[in-house]
Amino acid sequence: MPSSPTRSGAVSEDALRAPGSVSGLARALAALKRETDKPLPVRIAEAALAAVGARRAAVYLRDGDRWLLGFDSGKEGVPIEPPKALLENVVSDGGRLWVPLDAEGETHGCLALEGVEHEEPEELAAALGWIFGSVLAASRLSRLVKDAEFEIKARLLELESLYDLGLSLSGQLDISALADEVLYRSISLTDARKGTLIVFGERGAGPLVRSVGGDLLPAHALWSWELPEGEAVINNDAARVPTAGVQLSDCSKCLAVSIAVPGRRLGVLAVADKESRDGRVLDFTPGDARLLSLFANQASAAIETTRLHREAIEKERIERELELAAAIQRQLLPRELPHTPGFELAGSTLPTRQVGGDYFDWFPLSDGRLGFVVADVSGKGIPAALLVSTVHAAIHLQIDASETIVDLVSRIDRHLQRFSPAHKFLTLFFGLLETGGDLVRYVSAGHNPALIARSGGVIDRLSATGVPLGLLPRGSWREETAPLHKGDLLCVYTDGFTEATNGDDEEFGLERLEQGVRSRRTLPTRQISDALYGEVASFAAGIPQYDDQTLLIIKREA
Amino acid sequence: MSETCKVSVERRGDVAVFWTDGYINNQGGEEIAKEAYAELDRGARALVMNLEKTRIVNSIGISILIEVLEKVMERKAVLAFCGLTPTIDKTFRIMGLAQYAAIYPTENEALQAVGATA
Repeated sequence: MPSSPTRSGAVSEDALRAPGSVSGLARALAALKRETDKPLPVRIAEAALAAVGARRAAVYLRDGDRWLLGFDSGKEGVPIEPPKALLENVVSDGGRLWVPLDAEGETHGCLALEGVEHEEPEELAAALGWIFGSVLAASRLSRLVKDAEFEIKARLLELESLYDLGLSLSGQLDISALADEVLYRSISLTDARKGTLIVFGERGAGPLVRSVGGDLLPAHALWSWELPEGEAVINNDAARVPTAGVQLSDCSKCLAVSIAVPGRRLGVLAVADKESRDGRVLDFTPGDARLLSLFANQASAAIETTRLHREAIEKERIERELELAAAIQRQLLPRELPHTPGFELAGSTLPTRQVGGDYFDWFPLSDGRLGFVVADVSGKGIPAALLVSTVHAAIHLQIDASETIVDLVSRIDRHLQRFSPAHKFLTLFFGLLETGGDLVRYVSAGHNPALIARSGGVIDRLSATGVPLGLLPRGSWREETAPLHKGDLLCVYTDGFTEATNGDDEEFGLERLEQGVRSRRTLPTRQISDALYGEVASFAAGIPQYDDQTLLIIKREA
Repeated sequence: MSETCKVSVERRGDVAVFWTDGYINNQGGEEIAKEAYAELDRGARALVMNLEKTRIVNSIGISILIEVLEKVMERKAVLAFCGLTPTIDKTFRIMGLAQYAAIYPTENEALQAVGATA
């Protein structure tokens, strides 16, 4: 068939298609430029086939001193072999050509051709080698620039992430959300495939475990993983070798760091299996370790801050509850003095905490007599205050039904035996002033000796008449009487008075109390009470006291 | 959270909407790229990627998304993201994805912006 004329009318189409023709070469290069959907080695091979009329072409890319096959146009079978070494010139051997793809004195690849039809294949191949080498070099350079730009942006992202994490964590009071934030950023910025973050619980609470891609740490090792403080551990053989003594689950390379504040471990952070673009698992680097350590530092500060904040809130809540408890307990104390002709009374209590274990009360009875009580519960704080409430309720419920003081005390004891926790007991002094009489009846259940300051200055001690309440299953008590003449003064107190200590660990003692009472016995009871509290405070000289102080003073008017 | 990422796609006219669920890493990125190239070959002129169920993207995932973006631009199509966490939003902006792909807070806003039909 005759060739149709070209636009110029000078060259036939066959001539243009002929291997090595200028137009054929131009078309091949245009396709190389145009068909960007195809990978560059494919385009180079196809352009080479079109340009030199070969049957088969393969492109090898240089990777250091190795050749990597980029493309082989052979549909099946063994690819054309790469050259044995780097080439300086075109090598021809047994119908094959190996063409170095050079640019600027550097070899970037190799073109292997089979079945070349051109008359002077080596010269054409050398020219193609230079052209394709330049294209390959430009492509590699472009990729290097892109990679470098990506790397710079990735480093910027790391810095920004550290900054953002600090900001984010400083306002984060939810440890669970905090853990997620730290874990996600750690996995993301180390290109890890999976990761686990554990925050140890406090006060018996279980650990918080957050994972992406499954838990790395086996449950039995949650508490025992002893990672060194301050630096991350790299284990790039984690599938075979334990990491800091623990064989991790289902990972081949691992990076782990302890989350700690000085002297205290708060948790652990581990990431595993760093990804590459081609699906391989890469080694973790010292740079990755440094990054994870920085995240762990930020996490430890944030976790500690969150915990301290929570504790402060909890403390504030407890303070509020204690204030409320103190207000309730104050309601248990008598609010006004009873009408007791011929007697003057004063009572007060000073707890060492918001709420205390001391209690005093008085009970005007229907027959005109006056009952009164001072009690001291073992222990302090809320548990003691709760027992005080129990005793208060028991006395008020049982007093009208009781025929004698011993009967009342026995009933209270049974109530305590039944309703109070084991090992809780109280000492108690219950007295009864006979109407217009010169007598006080009393039961002292293991209580400190009450004092009667006689008008002449002699002090009588009213010793215990039975064991403390709630202490023994079958306690017994006896009622005693003591004369209370005009001008005599009865002082019932708790051991917070006599056992108050000063800076030398010396106790205030019974003798000082007796002397204080004796020397002030003629004063109004309120003044006596205030003076005794003041004397104990002066003695202690600011040393904190650990026991509540309670004082009840009854004076028979002269 | 699983390290595998699930990708689902729905066509709204010539707009393809993608939903990802999980970590966009090598596997997740490849999954997205495969679906994205398929939609481009089927003539999609816009891809909207809703990432609201993705909390983590690593640098491999980003590099694949950049490849997808380059392909989208070659085809004269557009790519839009929506439902990004603040962290991923910032990551995309720093890594240059936001330079050629639009970011919208919600899927509706993204669909409206690319002119999707119901």
